[in-house]
Amino acid sequence: MSSLLPVKLLVAAVMFLTAANSKAQQVAGKDSSKAVLGYGNAQQKTAAANPFERDPVVTTDSTDFILPFSRAGNLILIKAKADAIEGSFILDTGAPGLILNMTYFRDYPLTEHYAGEDGGGITGSVAGYGHTMVKKLSFGSVNYFKVEADRINLGHIENSKGIKIFGLLGVQLFKQFEMIIDYENSEIHLHHVTKKDGKNYQHHLLADTSTYSVFPIDIMQNKILTYGKMGNKKLTFLVDTGAESNVIDSRLSENVLDNVIITRRMVLNGAGNKKIDALYGDMSNLKMGDRSITSMPVLVTNLEKMCFAYDRCLDGMLGFDFLSMHKIGFNFVKRKMYIWK
Amino acid sequence: MEMMRNIPLFTGLRKLLLTVLLLVLIGSNANAQPPIKAFVVKKGHIYITLSKNIPAEELDAFVTQYSLQELDLKTFFKNNRPDSLLKLGWDINLNNGEMLVLSKNMLAADKLTDPVEKILLAQKHFNNGYGYANKEPLYGINRFVKKYPFAVKDSLVTFFCKGNSNAGKVMLAGTFNNWNPDALAMQKVDSGWIAIVKLGHGKHYYKFIVDDKWTIDKDNALVENDGEGNDNSVYYKTNYVFTLAGYADAKKVIVAGSFNNWNRDEMKMERWGEGWLKHVYLAEGTHTYRFVADGNWFADPANTQQYPNEFGETNSVITIGKPYIFLLKGNLNAKKVMLMGSFNQWRNYELEMRKTDSGWVFPYVLGHGNYEYTFEVDGRKPVDALTGKEKPNETLILSPNHTFRLKGYANAKRICLAGSFNEWSPGSFAMRKEGNEWIIEQHLLPGKHVYKFVVDGKWIVDPANELREPNEFGEENSVMWMKE
Repeated sequence: MSSLLPVKLLVAAVMFLTAANSKAQQVAGKDSSKAVLGYGNAQQKTAAANPFERDPVVTTDSTDFILPFSRAGNLILIKAKADAIEGSFILDTGAPGLILNMTYFRDYPLTEHYAGEDGGGITGSVAGYGHTMVKKLSFGSVNYFKVEADRINLGHIENSKGIKIFGLLGVQLFKQFEMIIDYENSEIHLHHVTKKDGKNYQHHLLADTSTYSVFPIDIMQNKILTYGKMGNKKLTFLVDTGAESNVIDSRLSENVLDNVIITRRMVLNGAGNKKIDALYGDMSNLKMGDRSITSMPVLVTNLEKMCFAYDRCLDGMLGFDFLSMHKIGFNFVKRKMYIWK
Repeated sequence: MEMMRNIPLFTGLRKLLLTVLLLVLIGSNANAQPPIKAFVVKKGHIYITLSKNIPAEELDAFVTQYSLQELDLKTFFKNNRPDSLLKLGWDINLNNGEMLVLSKNMLAADKLTDPVEKILLAQKHFNNGYGYANKEPLYGINRFVKKYPFAVKDSLVTFFCKGNSNAGKVMLAGTFNNWNPDALAMQKVDSGWIAIVKLGHGKHYYKFIVDDKWTIDKDNALVENDGEGNDNSVYYKTNYVFTLAGYADAKKVIVAGSFNNWNRDEMKMERWGEGWLKHVYLAEGTHTYRFVADGNWFADPANTQQYPNEFGETNSVITIGKPYIFLLKGNLNAKKVMLMGSFNQWRNYELEMRKTDSGWVFPYVLGHGNYEYTFEVDGRKPVDALTGKEKPNETLILSPNHTFRLKGYANAKRICLAGSFNEWSPGSFAMRKEGNEWIIEQHLLPGKHVYKFVVDGKWIVDPANELREPNEFGEENSVMWMKE
């Protein structure tokens, strides 16, 4: 290992010099990208001012139910019905609320337009991205009424996964629930948390407290946040069932990134044909509460654009590779996460 | 940004540091250390460190591992010209006789608040076997790891499940028996369990069921997700064997071809007596290939069927299936007539036609699909004798399985169909008028397809299809899903 020392020294020194030199770098050259991240055309939505502020009315046929799921790769697919349209939706806790694929929901009137022309017509100009409302959404034993929804193009996800995707089910829909995801048996246990539960309510799967650990979560702007530690550095993670990989910000300090061994690189096509470096590797020494995660696969990329209100930034995302390691549960009312041993 | 203002302060320090660095490096090299190659990320930058004395093979492996092909480091090591590296966004931090250090600022994906962009960023790109996507591959090779490939005799394949000697029963289920868990009991042998299955050539999915528990074949590295979260083992019943006599002294022999995009890292041949071989599955159609022995490319010396290639040399040719006879009538005074089309990426030097009494012919084997082609007569496209204009491309639809229909447009002169299934050819796949509608047949693979009609040059979506999605031109395409 001694031969690595000069490399480390060198890299550290060069990095120091380059940091002093850092300037906006132009990326040019011919197209050699391996994968398309998005098309970033003129119709990309711009953030709506106040999306997903009004929570829908929720009723359940039974407060406890089991929702079987299938998968698209490592994404969870749930059969859901939005008004008269029934199909597969991705459970995406990285999305703020209900997202509809405009291919199948083109007739919905928009309550708010995002960027893009509202054209339609025979030449096929785009019908427009925007905000709309679903009268009734149901899956399993739950019914939602007056559900806010974003309507965007999910065609690229369909192309990538090779299956029909009608929409995404995001955080807003689960705020009143306890949710336990069992990847091994492909089912989700949902409990509608209500005042009727009483003080002593406990999900039967959570009865034996020795089988799981409890971690705090926060919900901010319909994002589920949890926390980890690497050495002394506290890390904020988005809990994201819509991410197949765990993701770590490339701008984190050396103390963190020294624990990541890069094994592979890909160049992805971002919006406006920008080339995005995606580095894949293994991260060691992450701690979450009392649990040490000796090694987990991560994707290292620049998460600058994942910052949200009050200059809060995300250091990473915990996706399928983390969430599927053990049975995992959330109580979005009590703001707790349970990870089984 | 703060750091930028401090640049002058650093210049002195930088010189000092570089000197120290060089000393460290020279010192380390003097001790005959192994060549250094490192790829790390620090504070938003990628750093690549390479010794200049790195052996070519090690450099190749490093370049492949980190997808650094476009940097063309080999050329840079020779000519030291930094332009192309700088253009690609790389900074050269150190470049001397012994060492090269490159760095690059990692840019941020702009629209990560968009759930689509985020899902696509975080997805696993290397698993390309999702959904319908990979059901009909162009080629396939088996990758067994700790056991011999399944024994094959004619159409009979002996599936082998290693170990599990304590199991009460082991069943075999797969696409060949509709995943019926009760249909195929495996028999116990010394080292595991076997079952003999009659299989056609091509790709098959399977799993073992050991005492009622479904499991993939752990000794088979080929595993694919079925798009619904289930992993299945993949077995290719092969239909072709590449063989190469001699080259016994070569360290590594590869076969690469049109079927795997001339990938020189993928298909390693196995030693076989005084030569090399590789069993593969190849889809119906025409494939071209060459061998690569320790880095040297050459055509198959034992195969007389060869096509010229772009380097003025030849590629060897394999055909699977029956040929379609392409025919150009007349032109008997021409010296040379070439066939070219979407099936050979419009290469005009590859397929030279043979003269007959009535015209020119070329037998060419194609799998199912929608093809477009034309000829080159002494270097020129055929001309319509009446109008003097170049003739439009001809089309060939093999195994049509879907009919597109467009009602109305009674006054249109020419309506074409363009879509993902015919390479968006704008003006060749002309629809024919029947009654009050225009129709055309096409061959469609299972899965998603996007398309438009071109009515007298104007692109329209399918008015009878509600499914549409935006395209990169700010308009929309019609969407359809073809079931299996």
